[in-house]
Amino acid sequence: MRKLGFVLLVSILSAGAALGLSACGSSGGKEGGTLTGSYASFPDYLDPQLSYTQEGWTAMYDTYLPLLTYKRANGTEGGKVVPGLAESMPKITNGGKTYTLTLHKGLKYSDGTPVKASDFASTIERLFKISSPGSPFYESIVGAEKFAETQQGGIPGIKTDDKTGKIVIDLTGPRGTFTNELGMLFAALLPPGTPAKNLSADPPAATGPYYITKSEPGRGWSYARNPYWTKDNGPQIPEVSDGHFNKIEIKVVRNDSTQVNEIERNKTMWMQTLVPADQREHIINEFEGTQFRVDHPINLYYFWMNTTKAPFDDLKVREAVNYAVDSAALERIYAGSLAATHQILPLGMPGHEELNLFPHNIAKAKELIAQANPSDRDITVWTDNESPNDEAGAYYQDVLTKLGFNAKLKTINADNYFAIIGNKTTPDLDTGWTNWYEDYPNPNDFFQPLLAGESIAPTNNTNFSYTDDPVLNKKIAKLSEEPLGPEQEAEYAELDKAYMEQAPWAPYGTNTTSTFVNDEINLDNVIFNPTFGHSLASFELK
Amino acid sequence: MAVASEPNVEEAAPAAAGGPWRLAWRRLRRNRVALAFLGLFFLIVAFSLAAPLWADNVAHTGPNDTHTLEKLEVNGEKREVVNPSGRPIGAQWFEADGKFFLGADGRLGRDEMVRLMYGGRTSLLIGFASALITTILGTLLALLSGYYRGWTDTVISRGLDVVWAFPVVLLGISLGLTLAVGGLDIGPLHLSGSSIWIPILIIGGVMVPYVARPLRGEVLSLREKEFVEAAEAQGAGAMRVMFGELLPNLASTIIIFFTLNIANNMLLESTLSFLGVGVQPPGTSWGTMVGSGFDLISTAPQLSLIPGTMILLTVLSVNVFGDGLRDALDPRSKLRLEAHAGIAEPEGTAV
Repeated sequence: MRKLGFVLLVSILSAGAALGLSACGSSGGKEGGTLTGSYASFPDYLDPQLSYTQEGWTAMYDTYLPLLTYKRANGTEGGKVVPGLAESMPKITNGGKTYTLTLHKGLKYSDGTPVKASDFASTIERLFKISSPGSPFYESIVGAEKFAETQQGGIPGIKTDDKTGKIVIDLTGPRGTFTNELGMLFAALLPPGTPAKNLSADPPAATGPYYITKSEPGRGWSYARNPYWTKDNGPQIPEVSDGHFNKIEIKVVRNDSTQVNEIERNKTMWMQTLVPADQREHIINEFEGTQFRVDHPINLYYFWMNTTKAPFDDLKVREAVNYAVDSAALERIYAGSLAATHQILPLGMPGHEELNLFPHNIAKAKELIAQANPSDRDITVWTDNESPNDEAGAYYQDVLTKLGFNAKLKTINADNYFAIIGNKTTPDLDTGWTNWYEDYPNPNDFFQPLLAGESIAPTNNTNFSYTDDPVLNKKIAKLSEEPLGPEQEAEYAELDKAYMEQAPWAPYGTNTTSTFVNDEINLDNVIFNPTFGHSLASFELK
Repeated sequence: MAVASEPNVEEAAPAAAGGPWRLAWRRLRRNRVALAFLGLFFLIVAFSLAAPLWADNVAHTGPNDTHTLEKLEVNGEKREVVNPSGRPIGAQWFEADGKFFLGADGRLGRDEMVRLMYGGRTSLLIGFASALITTILGTLLALLSGYYRGWTDTVISRGLDVVWAFPVVLLGISLGLTLAVGGLDIGPLHLSGSSIWIPILIIGGVMVPYVARPLRGEVLSLREKEFVEAAEAQGAGAMRVMFGELLPNLASTIIIFFTLNIANNMLLESTLSFLGVGVQPPGTSWGTMVGSGFDLISTAPQLSLIPGTMILLTVLSVNVFGDGLRDALDPRSKLRLEAHAGIAEPEGTAV
């Protein structure tokens, strides 16, 4: 009996220990509690179909799930598309024009509404009804363009069966990036009847591990666990973590130094914002590896030159600017957060092959300007007023002045900057600063919207250099139809070189971002996806 | 009581003293504090006017020249103007022959001292020019409104009310944001968005009601005086009465408003430039310097503190001198103020 009692005691203790361990999750951290975080400003939208910033995408990455989703992983691994609400990756037939997916069974929204295949159709229709900035990604669906105009009759290219969960999408032509686009938040499923208006103040029900319980635009927002995740959704979607905190509270703290102070004093656990430049050195020295680390979103910072207007219609002038811009100086202006680059495809993007056609050489730049001898030397340089982009603009203006131009700097409020420089009627659009963060990890995203002739638009233009080369346009169009593979990556690398030989831009770097958490958070487990930013479900206590 | 009786003695014999202007000058000369601050103001003006001399002969750099990657030789030691973490070099005083006397202004590595001196020129120019615009427009509208009365007064006063209804800073921000993009195009007048005349016109414009309203009240009162009736009886036209009779009687008030407006307008310029809608980069003013230095406030606080101190000293000197000038030109106002503050007996009792 004594033996039996001992065995029973050991068994009970073991079971208790096992239960305790499983409750702590696989990494051994504590579960439950509230994650507190801060943003420098409220995201553009807290509506998955409207937000087009990394701040917004971070806020909704673990809340709204599309049929496909991006792997919760750091670095290039985070660029992989994996099944989300769909059972598996799409079956692509009909020469790349038909995508077939099947929805998991028994999924529920956070309000208990069952998720149905037809929700995908209504979700895509809502994109067009609210004129989402993401709607162009889905215009290749048969009938989508007509629906965008009439907003009636549905989109015939989307066929769904609520009984089987089958979704068939017909495209007007093959589109190599469509798998990526199905993984964007724009295509995250929303309950039927979701109002076609901005829902940032009252976000709709969600399918992910968390849902937004309260939103006060300008001040902050909160999450709670999705009550249907653990039983209904989570077990079928192993790629998305359950999360470790029961609640998440995000507040807007406009001063980034205050954000840092609050983390150091353990008043908040995480700041979404990049640490301020003047405190970066101190934070690196004190917290790197334990509470701070540098992350690498895929982006490019560059100066564009309007190739249709003098003096930048002359290749020699554009080459001279490329020789004159010194990435080393800009690295300092960005306080060490910038990594120099001189090409279109940034490091980490498939197809990137190291390239530097214009190493810094001010003498060569001046020689090229002397050869070109431009008659029009009055230039307007555009930049926004956010530091250090405004300083990058001032540096660029000084470079152009040293090359003999009469360069005037025009600094525009960051809220309106892209609308102004993207409007063809704005006078004096000669040259200026801009940046581009990937929509998805496909090199096409750096060519089609930024350099293809078809992307030149009277408003909301993103081809600021007005580059329109028929030969290269065709190449972009051809590659856009093909799924990405080694052969396509090599062709994109060639395209990168071909465009840089025309020098429509002076690329100077890719910017890093940072993860800064308080000493309670396990930094090693925090995931930073290069496209979506931090995964809130990955945060856990030590 | 002794304080109160002094001006009355002087006013009793203005003719003997050589007229009201000489009398005012005598009173001003006795106000040592006001004169000391006037001296300080002249020093600040001289400091700012010397900007090109310092830039060309000592610093050997312009206000917008960047030196991000340059190294400075100090006592045989090479110092980076901006270190790899983006921190600018601090004050070098005369160790580098006057170069980077107050250090670099930020990550662009521009000479802080040169920018401070040029920034002073801009701030003072904006303060003076906008105060001039405010005063001229305000006086003109007050004369028209107060002299003609009737519908002219109604139209002008309601127009001023509309401008007055907006908070000055908010109105300045909205105008600044709008004009910074497209500039100003009115008939032959074309100003680019980065022109220094944009903040001058904005500030000069939004402050007009603050001068025009009180002056209008004074014109309404003067309009009823006998000397106006006498001028009209002698056949003087409206222009003659307004500019020949009423304007000289407003002179002391106008001068006081002008000086006080210089200080107010400089402060408004600083606010607008700090918020990014005043002087446009890379142009420099003390307001823009406070704003750009704010990014480095924890590691290089001097970048905001030095231009901030210059604004403080300038505004203080103009205000103190302006107060002295008011006391000299209108001694009754001092009595009124003191009575209001309970320092002396009310004017009526003193007399």
